[in-house]
Amino acid sequence: MANDFGLFVTTDTTKCTGCRACEMACFQSHNAKRNKVGKTVGTITVPVTPKLYVTVIETASMPIQCKHCENSPCKAVCKQSAIVRFGHQVIVDETKCIGCKDCLVACPFGAITLLPYYDKGKPVKQVGSDENKVAASKCDLCIDDPDGPACVRVCPNEALSVSDVNEDRKKKNIAAAEALAVINAGAPERRLLP
Amino acid sequence: MTTVIAIDDKICTGCQECTKVCPNLAIEGLPHQAQKVDETKCVMCGQCVQKCKSYVSVAEHGFGAYETVRKERGLPETVTEPLFAAHNVCHLDEVLRALADPNVETWVQSAPAVRVGIAEDFGASLGTLGAGKLAAALRRLGFNKVYDTNFAADVTIMEEGSELIHRVTNKGLLPMFTSCCPGWVRYLELNYPELRHHLSTCKSPQQMQGALMKTYGAKTQKTDPKKIYSVSIMPCTCKQYESGRPEMADSGQRDVDVVLTTRELAYLIKLKGIDFLSLPDEKFDLPMGDYTGAAEIFGVTGGVMEAALRTGYELITGQAIPAIDIKAVRGPDGFRTAAIQVGELTLKVGIVTGLKNVKPVLEDLKAGKLDLHFIEVMTCPEGCVTGGGQPKLVLDTDFQAAYEARAEATYQHDRELPVRKSHENPSVKKLYDSFLKKPLGEESHKLLHTTYCGDPKHHH
Repeated sequence: MANDFGLFVTTDTTKCTGCRACEMACFQSHNAKRNKVGKTVGTITVPVTPKLYVTVIETASMPIQCKHCENSPCKAVCKQSAIVRFGHQVIVDETKCIGCKDCLVACPFGAITLLPYYDKGKPVKQVGSDENKVAASKCDLCIDDPDGPACVRVCPNEALSVSDVNEDRKKKNIAAAEALAVINAGAPERRLLP
Repeated sequence: MTTVIAIDDKICTGCQECTKVCPNLAIEGLPHQAQKVDETKCVMCGQCVQKCKSYVSVAEHGFGAYETVRKERGLPETVTEPLFAAHNVCHLDEVLRALADPNVETWVQSAPAVRVGIAEDFGASLGTLGAGKLAAALRRLGFNKVYDTNFAADVTIMEEGSELIHRVTNKGLLPMFTSCCPGWVRYLELNYPELRHHLSTCKSPQQMQGALMKTYGAKTQKTDPKKIYSVSIMPCTCKQYESGRPEMADSGQRDVDVVLTTRELAYLIKLKGIDFLSLPDEKFDLPMGDYTGAAEIFGVTGGVMEAALRTGYELITGQAIPAIDIKAVRGPDGFRTAAIQVGELTLKVGIVTGLKNVKPVLEDLKAGKLDLHFIEVMTCPEGCVTGGGQPKLVLDTDFQAAYEARAEATYQHDRELPVRKSHENPSVKKLYDSFLKKPLGEESHKLLHTTYCGDPKHHH
């Protein structure tokens, strides 16, 4: 079923414990091919670079991840065209990113940060320099994975789910209409109308 | 007591997922705040180490944090894997010092589960059997003798099987519990000290091997036992604690000097630039690296029981067991029982895996409701193949696949070994003929058996 808005992952904060299993799963999913990350921790030779960021406050914890805004401020400010819309999702092309941080400034949720960028187990170098490159890192909804977002699948507490807010809104509309239909039908002022 | 398991409060998010796997409620703290290990309760199984996903992160802790923590933990520069809040204290630096010292004879032993785990940390499929490459790697690391805990597992069967027969035929205290698993022994001492005489007096295979290496081994290899530095490679975080127990010095000095986990051996192999998966298959050194299929299955829940039955059947009846694969004692269930006909005797056995499953069994025993002769207990979820020192899975969702693959590799190794019963191990026969004389004999009692002190608070 086609969705009109970008999907995103939401957290049930009554279930999230803040364990960061989602961050590990995100990292593994995006680095299995590019950096040969295998099934065990011992196969990891590069820094863990997730695309969502577990945030713990006194009363709750949740991963903060991209909401795939329809009027994406990050995409609007990126002068390198490194942030693009792919279908309805907002995606970073790390190879184009110059690390200018405009997207970090633009994102009101802090869902993007700059992280080391590795390929084939080695740090990618900056253009014309020996220094290591960083790249903007944010949720791409595991767009290359037919099974959908890795974070959702791995959460030990089933706290994460893919949210289609437009579909949810339509369901809420129907539920509201059903409730209001009953109320309206029984309302005295309605019955008195000619 | 020396710290074995710790949680780094700078990294812990307070998710408390570890508290869900801790079998002795030894982790304290409030939600969303750093947790702390209560060392007086910790059984050091390392399941929290396996569970923890709270890692030193660039985004959260900064670009330099990883190196700081790596150094704090004494890990070599070549370690690149993520570092998590819950961890075990690493003794790799001590092993490196010994390997570099020309005046020290470094002798090593590896537990059965190590060979079905180690290859995973080099990118091989889960449960890849790497026994031959393990022996080759240890030799290239410079260990002077590449022995094997499996040799002592076969000796354990000789001693423990004889002890069981002795208890059954002489109205001794029953049921008898296995004593291979140090987390289980510590749990019993902490929570049910009154039941500790149900434990077999046998030391664990690691400690039997340690005691034999510095006595029988030193004698056969004409080596001064004081020069031997004895290293164990274990799938277990608790073995380091076991090796330091005051009872474990019957060779005249500390029997096992230091323990590395399977993961830490992988660090060492990478540090020395050895390409593990390209190594040829080699053999463990004789005589104390000679082993049977019965020893290998110690690594899986039910394996000690099956190995004991293969030998016990023959010792009691004088005939070979009709079916060597005893499927009735295999499987992943937390507590299972079986009745095995051994000649005239119906031997009633139980197997517990996952320490949380032992409490109701012990309560039944105290209430006089437990009618069993022999019970195997392992702390970790499915035995040593899922030990706290084994390669750690990135995703918990791979746990089941890892367990099944490691267990299958263990049984495959058993099926393919030429000798599959402990009492048929030619090097074990020779050990008894030339040194120990007989199971439960004088020398065995001195070196291979112990009485657990019972109060682990007094251990250093």
